[in-house]
Amino acid sequence: MKVIEIRDVHKIYDETEVAVRAVDGVTLNFDEAEFAAIVGPSGSGKTTLLNLIGGLDIPTLGEITIAGTNLRTLKSSELIDFRLHNIGFVFQSYNLIPVLSAKENVEFIMTLQKWPRKERDDRTFELLKAVGLEDRINSRPAKMSGGQQQRVAVARALASRPKFVLADEPTANLDSKSASKLLEIMEKLNHEEKITFIFSTHDARVVKMAHRVITLEDGKVVSDEVRE
Amino acid sequence: MKENFKIAWRNLWRNRRRTIITSASVFFAVFFAVIMRSYQLGSYDHMISSFIESYSGYLQVQHIKFQDDPLIDNSFSYTDSLAARISRVDKVVSVAPHIESFALVSSGTQTKGTVVLAIDPEKERKFSNPENKLVKYRITREAIDRLKGSGNIHANVLDEIEKNIGNSYSSRARLELELGLSADDNELYIPEILKACEVSNGFLTNYDEGVLVSDRLAGYLKTTIGDTIILLGQGYHGASAAGVFPVRGIIKMPVPDIDNRLIIMTIQAAQKFLDSEGMITSLSVNLTGKSHRTLNEAKNKINLLLIDGITTAKTWEELNPVLVQQIQGDSQSGMAMLALLYFIIFFGIYGTVLMMVAERTREFGVLISIGMQKRKLKKIISIEMLLLGSIGLVCGLLAGTPIILYFYYYPIILKGDLAKMMEDYGVDPMMPTAWFGPYFYWQAIIIGLMILIATIYPLRKIGKLKVIEALRS
Repeated sequence: MKVIEIRDVHKIYDETEVAVRAVDGVTLNFDEAEFAAIVGPSGSGKTTLLNLIGGLDIPTLGEITIAGTNLRTLKSSELIDFRLHNIGFVFQSYNLIPVLSAKENVEFIMTLQKWPRKERDDRTFELLKAVGLEDRINSRPAKMSGGQQQRVAVARALASRPKFVLADEPTANLDSKSASKLLEIMEKLNHEEKITFIFSTHDARVVKMAHRVITLEDGKVVSDEVRE
Repeated sequence: MKENFKIAWRNLWRNRRRTIITSASVFFAVFFAVIMRSYQLGSYDHMISSFIESYSGYLQVQHIKFQDDPLIDNSFSYTDSLAARISRVDKVVSVAPHIESFALVSSGTQTKGTVVLAIDPEKERKFSNPENKLVKYRITREAIDRLKGSGNIHANVLDEIEKNIGNSYSSRARLELELGLSADDNELYIPEILKACEVSNGFLTNYDEGVLVSDRLAGYLKTTIGDTIILLGQGYHGASAAGVFPVRGIIKMPVPDIDNRLIIMTIQAAQKFLDSEGMITSLSVNLTGKSHRTLNEAKNKINLLLIDGITTAKTWEELNPVLVQQIQGDSQSGMAMLALLYFIIFFGIYGTVLMMVAERTREFGVLISIGMQKRKLKKIISIEMLLLGSIGLVCGLLAGTPIILYFYYYPIILKGDLAKMMEDYGVDPMMPTAWFGPYFYWQAIIIGLMILIATIYPLRKIGKLKVIEALRS
């Protein structure tokens, strides 16, 4: 079942004298429970493509359809609401809310979705346990290591059972041990929760674990390899 | 809402030092503003009540020409029934007939121009109660010598007493305040000091032919109780007015300017002196309230009772335009100071807001990207801003409250040169605070407005925020 359909998407930045084609005619589909990595050299358009899929940016041309909804048809506030209910984000620099504890960060999305307290508590504990941080539920981000923060970020991204999670270089700021642990957790959650994960990455370990590797160069898909 | 408040509250303390500094600036601004304004308004109230309640009254019924031409010729016929009708008007507490005129007073070789105020002693008791202002204690050389001779008074206390030589007091409390002795010294020495300084004084009876002389004037004339003074003036319709009057008592008026030149006699004595049988120059009225609304309502109701066509009721503000202008001018300069203070504080708050927005633009981007609506983010920031202002505001008002209360009940009595300077300006040297009123609540409104203006910037910034740009910032 197709979760994401990308049809001939272009993103052109024309603020400078020479227009930059960050994404140039990309057509891709993602199915449920995929574990896909988008790779390519710096400036190849990985992050831009991820931003377009996440509805954070609007394509210059082309259509992106997520679970049957064409993102272009949504108004700004509708798009925010759509992201809230359908997409999880994991950022390179974690971007947790610094004034909230690990538990509060994870349940934040559920609070925005007005989940009942009991369900919120259960889901938060379940996710923090899944990422191995059940003993740090009351710690604030400043008191946690980078790896721990990124695990909280993954738990937050999965909190409301989104259709897919977009992770922009999630291991870039982590040491190898933390990165491996994070990848194991994400693969496990992908398997257990049947949630699609799409990474942009330079990290060979991520590429190695991915079930599908899409390579971008100059904004174009140059290869799309599906592994068994 | 609870979640918004929690996040806003915690956000506030992310940069603890900055929040404390900003709140402290609001605190000090509010604290100084309420104290300063309270003293200012308290001084005006005191000035008004010491002058108005004890002298002219909040309202006066006068001949229509009297204010412009204050001659005995511009007097009017007085009847008890008129006073009775006025005293039945809502909010009127006392009505007292007065004759106000001018005369030269002479005693020995001293002569001075004076104000002659004629009163009905019985009615006046309910109006300004001048009996309370009779001098009861006077620090004289003889009194000090008696105290020295007794050997019971400590040298330091005697020094304090000597500093006040020549001063007179209408109450024990005022004498104690002026001497400023410690509680122990007060308990130990005041009874003996009072005894040594006690003055026997008298008041007027209803048909008395004598006069009361204000304390400073008595000092100038070198006259005292039992002496006689000569008054020379102009009577009704150009008749000469002259008379010899025994001094029954010395009275201490709270306003030094009046204390320098006042002679009080009975209405009957004044009418005989001025040859103005049955006439008075004003009916002074005191009210329960001082607000403009109360004043104007009472004035209008009294005017309806005045059907002779030659009399009218006027408020104290109409009768004392110079005093009103002085108060307004001083009040405006005080408000200008406060405006400057708040102006500076506003830029402090605005600086904090600018830094907060610059530091958190990326975070705003993250929050919106993960699904927080901009309106919710705006709510959180507004609560944060409100809390930032409220901490300083509430603390400032709370800190100011006990000080205002204390000095309302125990005003500062000024001494020395400052007191003399205030007396020269015609003001009793006392600084009470004003009771809590609009000036107190206005601080909250001003801070609220400042916060509102300062909040516009982050709200606009969030409204125009582009998520991608914010995430890159």
